[in-house]
Order: sequence, then structure tokens, then C-alpha cells
Amino acid sequence: MSKKQSKATKQANMQRASERAAAIRAEHERKERRSRTIVVAASVIAVLLVVVAIAWGLQQGGAGEGQTSSPPDNVVDEYALAIGDDAAPVTVTVYEDLMCPYCGLFEQASSERLKEYADSGDVQVRYHVVSFLDGKSSDRYSTRAANAIGVVLDTAGPEVAVEFHDALFANQPEEGGAGISDEQMIDLAVGAGADEEAITGPIEDLKFEPWVENATDAWSKAGFTGTPTVTVNDEKVEVEGGEDLFANTEQAIEEALKN
Amino acid sequence: MGWIGFAARLLVGGVWIVAGALKLPDLDASVRAVRAYQLLPEAVVPAVGYALPVIEVAIGIMLVVGLLVRYNAAVSAVLFLAFVIGIASAWARGLQIDCGCFGGGGYDVDATEKYPWEIARDLGLLFVSLWLVRRPRSQWALDNRLVHDGTTDRTMTGEPSR
Repeated sequence: MSKKQSKATKQANMQRASERAAAIRAEHERKERRSRTIVVAASVIAVLLVVVAIAWGLQQGGAGEGQTSSPPDNVVDEYALAIGDDAAPVTVTVYEDLMCPYCGLFEQASSERLKEYADSGDVQVRYHVVSFLDGKSSDRYSTRAANAIGVVLDTAGPEVAVEFHDALFANQPEEGGAGISDEQMIDLAVGAGADEEAITGPIEDLKFEPWVENATDAWSKAGFTGTPTVTVNDEKVEVEGGEDLFANTEQAIEEALKN
Repeated sequence: MGWIGFAARLLVGGVWIVAGALKLPDLDASVRAVRAYQLLPEAVVPAVGYALPVIEVAIGIMLVVGLLVRYNAAVSAVLFLAFVIGIASAWARGLQIDCGCFGGGGYDVDATEKYPWEIARDLGLLFVSLWLVRRPRSQWALDNRLVHDGTTDRTMTGEPSR
């Protein structure tokens, strides 16, 4: 009898022990799972933070010292350097990047003719300069040139600014290398009629860089993806394969003038 | 088997790291590249443009080091699928845009010739990503260290539980 009883006690003891062991295992598992979740979550967050920090560090822009987000004086339609009558019935907008080779070719073909249109009083020509080709030069020429045009427009007015704009295109740098230096740009601007003292600081400080960014944004949001892009009375001048942008532009202007 | 997974992680992860890193210096360009597809509403275009490069690099790093391989490979597959749809739709609509896959974006004269190759490339990477979703266990992965004993459930890293 006593033997039987002790057997039952033994069994009970064994069961208790195995229950305890199971409880300990479960507790261990639970801790393990929790610590692993923490490690995984921490790793994922760390990776994301590092990448965000790198992205943050790589960004240029934002209004730095000597910069302003307000547009230059004498600007037309927020972003344009314009020649011709504000009240002209036809407006031609040329979106261009100073670094874009096709814009240079378009300038060669169109510059004189567009000036004649502007002088006629019936057409206003708006140069909307954008900057999305900083990667094509070693020194962010695209942004520096657009800023310089803003500076000259701000300090010397549209006639001088257009002269300067033409001079920049006449001296357009090749893709891949360095752009026109700040000094050379200042020389060209002075040659066009700008005041050296007034433009030097703002050109070097990229005073209108935020405005240049906004101008590029506005161009992109208008649905355009390339330069040169031309609109006549806000209608995009389309170019099918093999056609010439300037020929189509002239045609569109002539049609607009008839209406 | 472990080595195939390892190679797959390096391939897909490496592509993500390069693709994302090339976009990080100019996030505005990334926004413009997204906008050029004319698929998403303007309200979300900037968020997607800013977030994509960061997500790409993060997924790439996690795949290369082998952290949460199954989940990252799944996100990777979803992204490749989205890119394939985006490029195919741009092609179908006659848009001439650079896919912006490795930075860049915007108008591209030769776009139409590049679309098939870009779609093929992304389909290939989609396939490799799906393979990693099915078989996430591989050589030299941090996941292996997170499941060192058999007592814990292994669904998180995709190892079949016992």
C-alpha cells in the first residue's frame, strides 16, 4: 500500500517537474522571440535612418546664406525673362536649360527671328529658364547659369538679361566638363550691360537658387519633360520625327497672329 | 541551395542599392521622373519621388546583409511589378521618357527602343525576387543568426518550422 502511494507521489512529482520545465521553456521562448523582434525592428529602423540621413546630407538647395526665395525684379509670369509688349496678343514661351545642347541649336535658329516678332509688338517672347541638367557639368552649370540670368534680370532689366542669355548660349559649354565659371559669366553680363558690383555677390552666392528650383518645378508640373519646349499661347508646339522645332514654332506663331 | 539564395540576394540587393544611390543626390529629379509617367495624382507624386530612392537603398542593404529576406524580397517583387506596369503603360501611351530607373528621367528620344529591354530586365529581377520569397534561406545571412535554436518559430525569416 505504502509502495503504491509512494508511486503515485512520484508520478505527481514527476508531472510537476515536467510542468515546471515546460513553463521555463515557454518563458525562455517568449523572451527569445521578444528580443529577436526588438533586434529585427531596430535593424530595420537603423537601416532606414542611415539612408534618410545620407539622402538629407546629399541634398543641395534650401535658402542658404545670401539666398532668397522671392523671384527677381522684372520677372514676367513668375519665372520668365520676357521681351516684347506685355499686352501682345500672342505669347511664346521657350523652356530651356542653359546646359542643353538642343536648346543651343534652337537659340541659333530662333533668336533673331523671335526678337523681330517681339519688336513688332504683336508677340511677347518669354524665356522660362529651368535647371535639371546639373549632372551634365562638373560644377552645376545649369543652376549657376539660371541663377545668373535671374541676377541680371533683377539688377539690369530684361533687355540686358536677354543679351546676357544670348551670350551664354553663344558660349555654351560642352556636356561632361566644367561650365562657364562665375567670373566668365560676370564678364559676359558686364559686356551685355550689367553692373559688375551689383551682380558679383548674387551670382557667387546663387541668390536666386530657390527661384530656379521653383521655375524647374513649375515646368515639370506643367507636364513637360524635356527642353527645349515651346508653347504658343500656352499650346505646346509639337515636333514629329524629323520636323524642326523652330519651323513649327514659326508656323504656330503665324497662325496665332491670324486669329 | 544556400548559395543560389546568396547570389540572388547580392544581385537584387546590389541593383537596388545602385539604383537608389544614383537618385539620392537629386531627389527633385526623382520626383520629376515619377511625374513624367503621368500615372499618379500630383498629390502623391512628390512623396513617391522622395521615398522611392530611400526605400530602394534600404531594401538593397537588407537583402545584401540578409535581414528579413522574405519580407524584403516581397517588397522588391511588388516594386518591380509596379515598374514593369509603369514602363509598359508609358510605352503603350506613346510617351517618350527615360524610365528613371537609375536616376535621370524625363524626355528621351530613344525611349521606345529601350522599353523592351527595361521591361525584360525588371521581369528578370521580379523573378529572382519571387524566388527569394519562396526560398529565403541562404548562406551568410543575418537571418540565420536570429534563429539559432530550434525552439522559436521560424516564420519570420521564412524557415519552415519543425
